[in-house]
Amino acid sequence: MRYLRLYAHFLRFSVSRAFEFRVDFYFRIVMDCVYYAVNIGFFAILYNKTGLVGGWTESEAYVFVCGFLLVDAINMTVFANNLWLLPLLINKGDLDYYLVRPVSSLFFVSLREFAANSFLNIVIASGLMVWALRRFPEPLGTVRVVVYLVFLANGVLLTYAIRLAFITPVFWLHSSRGLDELNFSLEHLSERPDQIYAGWVRRILLTVVPFALVASVPAHVLFEGLTVDRALATAGVSVLFCAAAVLFWRRGLRAYSSASS
Amino acid sequence: MTARLFLQVFSIQARKLMSYRADFWLNAVVLFFVEFGIAYFLWSAIFRASGATEIAGMTLQTMLLYYVSVLLLGKVVKGTERDITVSTEIYEGTLTRYLLYPSNYFGIKYAEHLGLMAPALVELVLFGLAAVLLIQPSGSVHVTPRTVAMAAVAVLLANLLQFALLFPIQAVGFWADNVWTLLVMYRFASQMLGGLFLPLNLFPDWSQPLLAALPFKYLFYFPATTLLGQVDDASWLRGIAVTAAWCVIAGLVGRWVWRRGTHQYTGVGI
Repeated sequence: MRYLRLYAHFLRFSVSRAFEFRVDFYFRIVMDCVYYAVNIGFFAILYNKTGLVGGWTESEAYVFVCGFLLVDAINMTVFANNLWLLPLLINKGDLDYYLVRPVSSLFFVSLREFAANSFLNIVIASGLMVWALRRFPEPLGTVRVVVYLVFLANGVLLTYAIRLAFITPVFWLHSSRGLDELNFSLEHLSERPDQIYAGWVRRILLTVVPFALVASVPAHVLFEGLTVDRALATAGVSVLFCAAAVLFWRRGLRAYSSASS
Repeated sequence: MTARLFLQVFSIQARKLMSYRADFWLNAVVLFFVEFGIAYFLWSAIFRASGATEIAGMTLQTMLLYYVSVLLLGKVVKGTERDITVSTEIYEGTLTRYLLYPSNYFGIKYAEHLGLMAPALVELVLFGLAAVLLIQPSGSVHVTPRTVAMAAVAVLLANLLQFALLFPIQAVGFWADNVWTLLVMYRFASQMLGGLFLPLNLFPDWSQPLLAALPFKYLFYFPATTLLGQVDDASWLRGIAVTAAWCVIAGLVGRWVWRRGTHQYTGVGI
C-alpha cells in the first residue's frame, strides 16, 4: 500500500513535468508512430514476397509485431527513462539519494520517472493490437487473449530485467552506459519471430537471454494454446532471470562506493 | 577553414573514438553479428519455407552479400551516430566558443563527422574480407576493383549527404530543448526507406519512383548495390547526380535554418 501511494506521487510529479516540455511531448508521440509504421511496414513488405515468415502467416505476424510494440510502449513509459539515467546516477554518486530512502532502492530507481509523454503511445499500440486481433481470420477466444496479455505482461517484466542486468555492470566498469549499448543491439533479436532462429541460438533466446519470451512465446500461446510445458518453462525462466537480475543488482550495490565511484 | 585544421579535427575525433578499444570491439563485433545474424536467419527461413531459389531476383547468397555490404557501408555513411553535438552545443550554450573561433563551424562539424567514420572503416575491411571469403559471390553479384572504386565515390557522397540531412535537424535545437526524438525519427525513416532493413527492390512497384526521388536510397542501397556490381554506368552517374543534388538542397536548407537560428541564439546554456 505504501509503495502504491509512493508510485501515485511519482505519477503526479512526472505528468506535471512532462507538460513543461510541450514540443518534446508531441515529438515523442510522432517518433513512436514512425517506429510502429516502420515495424509493421517491414512485415507488410516481406509478406508481399512470401507467404510464411518463421512459420507464421501475415495475420499471425501482425499480432506478433503489435504485441512486441505494446511491450515496447509500456517499457518506454514505465521503465526506459529511469534505466537510461541509472548509469549516470551510479557514476556520479547520485545513487546515494536513493539508497538513504526507507524504500527499496530498486523500486525507487526503476519507477521514479513515469514518461507521461509516452503514455499516449500505449494507447496507440493497444489500438494496433486490437486491429491485429480483429483482422485475425480465426476466432481466438477471450480466455486465450487474456492469457496472451498475461504473457505479454511477463514480457514487459523480462525486458526490464534484461536491461537492468546489462546496466548493472556499471558498478564495476564505470563506463558511461555499462553494457546498455550491447543490450540495444541484442534487443533486435526479439523483434523477429523466434522460429526463424535455429539450434543453439534459439535455445539461448529461450533461456539464457530470454528475448524470445518477450513477444514470440506469447504469440505462440495465443495461436497454439497454452500447454503445461510452455507455461512451466516460461514461468521458470522468467522467475530465475528476474531473481538473477535482482541478485546481480544487490551485488552491484555492495561494490558501489558512492560519489567516488 | 584550412585543410590542416580540417585534418587535425578529423584526426582528433578518429583517435578519440578508437581510444575506447574494448568498447569499439564489443559494439562493432556484436552489433555486426547481431544485425547480420538476424538477416541470415530471417532470409534462410524464408527461402526454406517458400522453396524458391530466388526472391525479387535475389538468391540467398546474393541477399546475404547485400546485407553484408549495406550494413558495413551503412556504418561508414552513418559514422557512430554519436554526432548529435550541434543540438547539445546549442542547448548547453557551448556553441558560443565556436562562433568566436576564426574558422567555419560547418567545416569543423564535417571534419568531426568524417572522423566518426574511422572505426567503421576498420570494420568494413575486417568483416568485408571475411564475408567475401565465407560467402561465395553468385548470380548477379560481380565485385571488381571498378565497382569498389564506384562504391567508394558513392559512399563518400552518401556520408556528406547524411551530414547535410542531419544538420538542419540538429539546428532545430535553436527552437526546441530536445531534438533527439527528431533524430530518432530520421534514423527510423532513413534506414527503412534507405534499404538498411530490406533491399529496396522488395518494395512494391508503385513506391519505386518515390524511393528514387527521396534522398534515403542514396545513403545505403545505392552504394551497396554499386559495390555488388548491380548498377550500370548510366544508373551510377544518375545516382551520383541525384545524391549531389540532395546534398546541395539539404545544405541550403541547413544554411537557412542556421542563419535564422543564430540570429535568435542567446548563448545561454544550462
